[in-house]
Amino acid sequence: MADILQILILGLALGGVIALMGSGLSLVFGVMRIVNLAHPSLIIGGAYVTYWAFKMTGVDPIVMLPVASLIMAAIGVLLYRLMFERETKSAKYSEMTVLLTFALAMMVEGLLGGLFTNTQRVVSPDYATDAFFVGDIFIPKGQLYAGIVSLTIITALSLFLKYSRLGYAIRATTQNREAAELLGVNVNFICILAFAIGIGLAGAAGSLVSFVFSFFPAKHWEWVAMLMSVVVLGGMGSILGTVVAALMLSVIAAFVGTWIGATWSTLTFFLALFLILLVRPQGLFGEKPEMA
Amino acid sequence: MSELLQVTNITAGYGDGPAILDGAHLTVEPGKVHCIIGPNGAGKSTLMKAICGMLTIRKGDVIFKGKRLNGMRPDQILREGICFVPQERALFPKMTVRENLRMGGFILDDKKELERRIEGILERFPILRERADQHAGTMSGGQQQTLAMARTLIIKPTIVMLDEPSLGLAPKIVQEMFDIMKMMSAEGVTVLLVEQNALMGLKNSDWGVVLDLGRTLFEGPAADVLADPRIQELYLGGKKAA
Repeated sequence: MADILQILILGLALGGVIALMGSGLSLVFGVMRIVNLAHPSLIIGGAYVTYWAFKMTGVDPIVMLPVASLIMAAIGVLLYRLMFERETKSAKYSEMTVLLTFALAMMVEGLLGGLFTNTQRVVSPDYATDAFFVGDIFIPKGQLYAGIVSLTIITALSLFLKYSRLGYAIRATTQNREAAELLGVNVNFICILAFAIGIGLAGAAGSLVSFVFSFFPAKHWEWVAMLMSVVVLGGMGSILGTVVAALMLSVIAAFVGTWIGATWSTLTFFLALFLILLVRPQGLFGEKPEMA
Repeated sequence: MSELLQVTNITAGYGDGPAILDGAHLTVEPGKVHCIIGPNGAGKSTLMKAICGMLTIRKGDVIFKGKRLNGMRPDQILREGICFVPQERALFPKMTVRENLRMGGFILDDKKELERRIEGILERFPILRERADQHAGTMSGGQQQTLAMARTLIIKPTIVMLDEPSLGLAPKIVQEMFDIMKMMSAEGVTVLLVEQNALMGLKNSDWGVVLDLGRTLFEGPAADVLADPRIQELYLGGKKAA
């Protein structure tokens, strides 16, 4: 029983971080219908910001999180204005954004590789290697803190979307872009804002990831399928769905990793993605796609 | 006629595609109900989209209260007082009725005033109060249309443009929609209506406009449109007004 509880706790703590990693991707898809394949590479960008801040000044990654988030959000604004704004009226918008984000992922990887080499990095604050013990159960402090911070950020995001005026505008644009525009929402501004928030969330996730996982520029390829499976299972565009899916898959992966073997753990996400697309493409909280 | 909105020989279309409107004109008088009729593809909905800024006007002018609206964004035109309810009703299906009404007043800065106006709307439309916390996407077609029309009143608009409000509704519900429209008009809101059921639309209107192939063919009092034998033959299925 203690073993099961142990695995469950580890899975949930990691699931919280994965939920934050996926929430920005989900938000950007929900508002702009952009499947941002570069999202994981931008998470790595946030991780490097945190890594160098820690290495040079010793600043704690959790304290650095808002700064990394703001830096990545500003990069998000630039990227949107340079790459996506002009595509919004294109008849091939969806195809173009997939290709553009794929190219962006390659460029970010190349840039980070050129600047920082492909050496594995990890931020090591004291708590990253420490743990709480409750009887026979240990809870790694790093994962626990990262999970708590992630779920706090997602809660704040949900409250912002639910109650603020801009949150209303973002939700409205997600559900019916034309109607939002007709009711006075400056949809282009909302897209820039949502993209900035999405990439800002990638930055925040990067700060947490920096001490939970080791990372290097090409690591994003591993995360892309993991995050896609989370976002697809949750229902593309649903933040709540992303959280539920991340926690679910993460717990399942933790059990698979313990009982079957660590190498099979990652397969959980790939298999989930395959099965969801086959059985329920709209995911848990998404809308059923209309037949052509 | 003291016009509120004047559309002069406009040309407009979607993207770089061919012009759907080519020489359409329209005069809108304050406080009246205006009905645009015409066959499918005549450009009725396109005309409304051009007026509210959803399409770029390539030629011609849209003048509202003496101000040129060409080139303005939909949110800017809304702030001028022109509301548009498209065929699809433009609701937010995963927002509650109350949240949809809040979105109706998105351009209002005073939150307390917005909540006061929402209460006013819920008072006038009891069905919306009953469903205030229900997601809009789960309501019936008639209830959704009521919400879409009621939502326009939040900003106290000068003109409300309704694109086929009766589409897909049962006859009894259709009459309710026309009653709401008349109520709007009685309160001084100018209504511009596109209606597939041309006979019913014109009977409930003061002014009629016949549009075909992107051009305005006739404009005049709705009674005159209904009485014109040629229009009866071509656009009203040969039916004479009762």
